[in-house]
Amino acid sequence: MEAIRNGFMAVVLAITTTMTVGSGSARAESLGWPEKEELTFGFIKLTDMAPIAIAYEKGYFEDEGLYVTIEAQANWKVLLDGVIDGRLDGAHMLAGQPLAATIGFGTEAHIITPFSMDLNGNGITVSNAVWDAMKPHVPKRADGKPEHPISAAALKPVVEQYRAEGKPFNMGMVFPVSTHNYELRYWLAAGGIHPGYYAPHKGDISGQLQAEALLSVTPPPQMPATLEAGTIYGYCVGEPWNQQAVFKGIGVPVITDYEIWKNNPEKVFGITAEFAEKYPNTTLRLTRALIRAAMWLDENDNANRPEAVQILSQSQYVGADAEVIANSMTGTFEYEKGDRREVPDFNVFFRYFATYPYYSDAVWYLTQMRRWGQIDEDRPDSWYREVAEKVYRPDLYAAAAKSLVDEGLADAADFPEFGTEDGYREPQSEFIDGVTYDGTQPNAYIDSFPIGLKTGDRL
Amino acid sequence: MGKTITLSRATGVSSLPAPVRRVMSIGLKNVVVPLLGIVLFLGAWSLAARNIDTSLGQFPGPATVAQQFVSLYDEHRAEREKAEAFYERQEQRNAERVAQDPSYEPKIRDYTGKETFFDQVRTSLITVMCGFLLAALVAIPFGIAIGLSETLYTAVNPVIQVLKPISPLAWLPLVTMVVSALYVSEDPLVPKSFLNSMITVTLCCLWPMLINTAVGVASISQDLVNVSRVLSLPPLTHVRRIVLPAAVPAIFTGMRLSIGIAWMVLIAAEMLAQNPGLGKFVWDEFQNGSSESLGRILTAAIVIGFIGFLLDRGMLTLQRFVSWDRNSATR
Amino acid sequence: MNNPTPDRDVARDVILDISHIDVVFPTPKGSFQALADVDLQIRQGEFISIIGHSGCGKSTVLNAVAGLTETARGGVILNGREVDRPGPERAMVFQNHSLLPWLTAFENVALAVRQVFGKTKSKAKQKEWIEHNLRLVHMDHAMHKRPDEISGGMKQRVGIARALAMQPDILLLDEPFGALDALTRSSLQDSLMEIKAELDNTVIMVTHDVDEAVLLSDRIVMMTNGPAATVGEILDVPLPHPRERMALVEDPTYVHCRSEVLRFLYEKQRKVEAIGRHNGKSAARAGDDAKVA
Repeated sequence: MEAIRNGFMAVVLAITTTMTVGSGSARAESLGWPEKEELTFGFIKLTDMAPIAIAYEKGYFEDEGLYVTIEAQANWKVLLDGVIDGRLDGAHMLAGQPLAATIGFGTEAHIITPFSMDLNGNGITVSNAVWDAMKPHVPKRADGKPEHPISAAALKPVVEQYRAEGKPFNMGMVFPVSTHNYELRYWLAAGGIHPGYYAPHKGDISGQLQAEALLSVTPPPQMPATLEAGTIYGYCVGEPWNQQAVFKGIGVPVITDYEIWKNNPEKVFGITAEFAEKYPNTTLRLTRALIRAAMWLDENDNANRPEAVQILSQSQYVGADAEVIANSMTGTFEYEKGDRREVPDFNVFFRYFATYPYYSDAVWYLTQMRRWGQIDEDRPDSWYREVAEKVYRPDLYAAAAKSLVDEGLADAADFPEFGTEDGYREPQSEFIDGVTYDGTQPNAYIDSFPIGLKTGDRL
Repeated sequence: MGKTITLSRATGVSSLPAPVRRVMSIGLKNVVVPLLGIVLFLGAWSLAARNIDTSLGQFPGPATVAQQFVSLYDEHRAEREKAEAFYERQEQRNAERVAQDPSYEPKIRDYTGKETFFDQVRTSLITVMCGFLLAALVAIPFGIAIGLSETLYTAVNPVIQVLKPISPLAWLPLVTMVVSALYVSEDPLVPKSFLNSMITVTLCCLWPMLINTAVGVASISQDLVNVSRVLSLPPLTHVRRIVLPAAVPAIFTGMRLSIGIAWMVLIAAEMLAQNPGLGKFVWDEFQNGSSESLGRILTAAIVIGFIGFLLDRGMLTLQRFVSWDRNSATR
Repeated sequence: MNNPTPDRDVARDVILDISHIDVVFPTPKGSFQALADVDLQIRQGEFISIIGHSGCGKSTVLNAVAGLTETARGGVILNGREVDRPGPERAMVFQNHSLLPWLTAFENVALAVRQVFGKTKSKAKQKEWIEHNLRLVHMDHAMHKRPDEISGGMKQRVGIARALAMQPDILLLDEPFGALDALTRSSLQDSLMEIKAELDNTVIMVTHDVDEAVLLSDRIVMMTNGPAATVGEILDVPLPHPRERMALVEDPTYVHCRSEVLRFLYEKQRKVEAIGRHNGKSAARAGDDAKVA
C-alpha cells in the first residue's frame, strides 16, 4: 500500500519535472497553430491505449498546444458512436472499426486513421476446466511444460465433447470487427474448428452460422468476470485481461496473438475524415504527439516500460494492478500459473514501423471480413486497395514524422522510406498455419484457407 | 421539598440535579445506544468480510475502507498539485504564443486530468441539486395549477398516473438521444452528459413533487379558502398568501421523497450512461478489477449512503425552517 | 314580525335587506332546498341572533349574506346594493377561527388590513390600526404568537380582531363561541359586548345557545326546522345596554325572553333528537330526517 503510494507520488513528480523542462511551442509556428485545441479522446481499458496516456502524461499533447481530456468508454460501440457523433474527437480503436464503418458494416461513417497504435498484445484464454481437458492433447517439452504455440487442434476434441453433450461451446471476443474476433477465428479455423459465418445481407450479424464454437461480444474489462460466471469457456482479448485471469486463478492463457501472426497490427487511432479535413493542423499535431509517445514506450529497449506500467495502473487509465499490467508490458507472459515465458515483442509500440498505417494491414482485415461473411460478396482486388487508401492515411503520418525528424525529435531511420515505399509490406508468412499473406492479392489470399468463404461463395 | 433534596443527595448519579440527570439519560439513549449499534455493525462486517473471498481478493472490511478513503484523499491532493502545474504551464505557453502570434487571444482551459473521487462527489451533488431544482420549478407551479382546478386535475391525472411508475432509467436512452439531437452547440455551456443526468434526475423528482403539491393544494381547508374569499384576495395573492403556504408541508413531503429517489437513480444513471459522477466512479473501479477496486467501490458506496442521509437531513431541516406545520416534519 | 318595533330603532335605516331568499343545494340524490323565502331586514347598529335546531340552515343564511353561498331566488341587499359575492364589508368570524396557521396573530390581522386599507392607509397607520384592533380584543400581549401557540379562546379573539379590522358594514359571526368552554365563552361574550358598545357595529350572529342569544341580541330570529327552513318568529329583546350578565339572571324581561325562545324551540319546533353540540353525526341525522319529512 505504502509502496504503491510512494511509487505513485514518484511518478507524479517525475512527470511534472519533465513537463516543465521541455516546451515545444518555440517550433510551433512553422507547423501552423492547431485549429482546435481542446480535444477529448476515448479509450477502452486495455494496455495498448498506452500511447494516448503517455502522450498526455509526458506532455507531448501540450507541447503541440493541445489540451486533451482522456475518457474511458464503456465498450467499443459506445466509443465508435462517440467519435461519429462528435462527443469524442478521436479514439483508440480496433483496426476493423474505421474500415467497417467506412464500408458500412454496422454504423456507417467515414473514419480514418493516421496512426497505428501497436503490434500484438492480445491473447486467448480458456477456463481452467477447458484447459484441463485440453492438456492431454498438448505436446510437452522436455521439462514437462506445454510446447508453444498451442494449436486449436488441442481444443477440437474438447469442443466436440461439449457439442456431443449438447452444450454450446461459447467463447467471448470484444467486437464483431475486432482484431480479437479475427484472431480467435484464425486460431480456431487453423486448428479445424469452425467459428461460424456472418450473413449481414440476410440480417444475420451473430456470426454463428455453421459454427462449432459460438463467438459472442463481451466488453474487455468484463471478460474475466464473464468467464468466471461460466457464460463463456474462453475468450480472446487484449491485456491486462488475460493476465488478470491468471492472477485470479480462473483461467489459463493458451496462446498470444504474436504466436498466431508474428507482429500483427493491432489498434489504430481513429478520427473522422471530417475532423482531419476541418482541423489539418490539429490532426498533424496529435499524430506527432502520438508518435513521440510510441517512441518513448519502446525507447532504449523498453527501458521506460516500468514507468509506463505505473502510469497505466492508475485508475483513470487501465486501472488494473501494476503487477498484472507489468506481466505483459515488460516482455514476459504468464501462461499457466508459474509458467512465465519471455515474449519480448508481446507489446510493440514503435519498433518494426509499428505505428505506420500500412495499406496492407487494412487489406488483411478486409480479407478476414470477407472470409467470415461480414463482406457478403466478392470484391475485386482494386476495391480492397481503394478502401484501404480511403481509411488508412500514411500521408498524414509521413508529414508528422518528417516534421519530427526535421526538428531533431526523431530519427529518420526509425521510419519507413516515405519516398519509396508504397504502403504495402512485403508478403508475410509468419502465421500459425504457415499461409503467406500478400496484401496486393487479397482474393488469392482468401481462397487459400480450408475453412472460410472463398471467391464465388455467398451464404 | 427540602426532604427530597436531602434524599437525592444520598446516592451517586441521583445526587445530580434532575435536569442534569435527564440530559444524561437522553445522552445515554441518543449517543451510547447508536454508538453500540455502529460498533456491532462494524464487528459483524469485518467478520463477514474475512470470510468472503472474491476473485479480486478478500471482501474489504472497515479497515480497508478507511485506508482507501485516505488514499483517495491523497490522490485528490496529488491531482490538485498536477492541476496547478497544468495551469502554470498553460499560462507560460499562452504567453509564449502571444509573443509570437499577437492576434492570439489566450484562453485558460480547464484542467484536463482525471476526475478524482471528490470531484465525482461534487459532480453528482451538483447534478442532483440542479435536477431537483429544475423539477421543483416545473412541478410546484404545475402542481398548484392542477390542485386548484378540478377540471385540469381530471384531465392530467391519468397521464401522471401512467408516467409516474416509469423508472427514470427507462427514460435515459430517450433523454440521451433527444439531448444529442436538440442540444447542439460548438461551445456548450454545460456538457451533454451533465444534461442527460440532470434531466433524468428531474424526471424522477417531478412526479412525487407534482402529486404532493397537487394533493396539498386540493386538500386546503375550505375555511381558509373562505377567509380568502371574504377578503376578496386577487387570484395571485390568493395563491401566494393562502394556497402556497397551506401546501408547503405537502410540498416538502414530496421534495423529501424526491431527493431520496433522485440520489439513488442518479448513481444508477451515471453507471449506466457513463456520465461523470459517483456512479461512473463505481463502474470504472469495477472495470479496473484491481486489488483495490472492491475497497474503493465500498468506500464509494458508504459515501453515497452518507450523502443520501445528509440530503434527507438537509431537506428535513429546511422543512422545519420553512414549514409552519411542525408535525409534518418529525421523522 | 308581529312584534312592534321599539321606538329607539325607528330612526335607523335598514342597512341589510335579506329579501325572500331560497337556497338549494345539489346532492347526489337530487336537489335539497335548505332555505325557503327567508326574509329579514336589519338596521344599522342592530345585534341580531339567528337561532334554531341543528341543521335548520342558520349558517346557510349567514353564508348567503356573506356571499359564500349562492341564492336560488331572492337576494341580499346591502346599503341599497345587491351583493352576490363575498367581500370585506361583510366580515365573517368563523366557528373554528380559520386563522392562517403560518402567520402570527398580528400577521393574520395584517393580511386583512393590507387588503382593505392597502391603498388608503400608510404603512405606519396600518400597523397602528392592526395593533388597535388586537388591543380591542385584549390580544395585544400575544400578537406575535402563531395560532398553534395560543388557546382556542385567544384564537377566536384574533378572528374577531381580523373581522373588526376590516371595518365592515356588517359583522357576521358563525357560532363564534360554539367550540369554547363555558368560562371562556362568557369572557368572549363580555368582550363582544364591550366592542359593540364602543363601535356600534351591526352584527348578525348564528348561535344555538339560548342564553347567549338573549344576552347579546336586540332581536332574536328563530328559524323553523328544515328542509325549506325559514324565519319562524322574531323576538325583540327590550333590555337596555350595557347589559350585566349577573344582574340579568333575575331580570323578568330576560327570563321572559329566554322562555319565549325555549318555547319556540321545544314546543313549536320540537325535534326528536336532543339539541346538542354541532357534531357531524347529529347534523347528518338531521339532514336525513329532513329529507324523510
